[in-house]
Amino acid sequence: MLQNYIPVLIFLGIATAIGLLLMGLGFLFGRGQKDSEKLSPYECGFEPFEDSRMKFDVRYYLVAILFIIFDLEIAFLFPWAVSLDVIGGFGLAAMGIFLAVLVVGFIYEWKKGALEWD
Amino acid sequence: MFHAILFYSFAAILVVAALGVIFARNPVHAVMFLVLAFFQSAVLWLLAEAEFLAIVLVLVYVGAVMVLFLFVVMMLDVEVEEIRGGYTRYAPLGIVIAGLMVVELAQVIWLRGKEGFAVDGFRPTPEGYSNTEALGSVLYTEHVYAFEIAAVILLLAIVAAISLTMRRRPGLKQQDIASQVAVRAQDRVRIVKMASEKPE
Repeated sequence: MLQNYIPVLIFLGIATAIGLLLMGLGFLFGRGQKDSEKLSPYECGFEPFEDSRMKFDVRYYLVAILFIIFDLEIAFLFPWAVSLDVIGGFGLAAMGIFLAVLVVGFIYEWKKGALEWD
Repeated sequence: MFHAILFYSFAAILVVAALGVIFARNPVHAVMFLVLAFFQSAVLWLLAEAEFLAIVLVLVYVGAVMVLFLFVVMMLDVEVEEIRGGYTRYAPLGIVIAGLMVVELAQVIWLRGKEGFAVDGFRPTPEGYSNTEALGSVLYTEHVYAFEIAAVILLLAIVAAISLTMRRRPGLKQQDIASQVAVRAQDRVRIVKMASEKPE
């Protein structure tokens, strides 16, 4: 089974090598003349108004949580799809109930307006 | 042999990433180290031939849970100095938890050494064996009750998340895109027929 993942390993190696190589080349051959103006954030000629690390709205949190829930639902679908010929009609019905319950949640969040960004 | 080299190198990166989570000054960097740690654990799952768990770790934890972590970290607006301050305060609790985990690990290793209780090492699975299919063939038949309970828990999570974080701001002006699209030219432009007029 692990032989199937050799391309992934090779890709991982190449990606790491390129990343290290590019950063290493910049580190070796860069002039490195740093001064405070060069390191300060550039903002079209005026002084930056505030720190770029500002607070996020709490509504992003809701979107992320709803995303996790449906991501988990997808995770349940994978083994189901692979083993559908083994589990047969019973498995189909089980997944039908599972999806029906989650569709109730989906309708709830749609009607509640949780998907809208006002 | 090659297998062992892979295991130890990825395990070493995992330990380094886990240390990075604790020692990174910037909380966002700590989350990034956690992402790296999850990736390395996924590789370790793969090496143990638990294919499905590896994919789910990347898909659910890296893809979704870490996004949530990042949002939470950015939402809290944590100052680096404040985090440093809490370091000694939470140290006793951390040491207790770490001690518990060391004891658990030692017990697992000790039990494996004993006769009768011993768990076999990972045996290579036969050709054509699919971890995902083996999981699916019992999850939706034997453990169907637990599976449907999972659906109910997810439904509960949807309702709870919405009721906890949804805030409607009253008096907000909104576009109604459906009615914008449905508009017809006759509703907007009125063409008036009239006789031409001569200038005086």
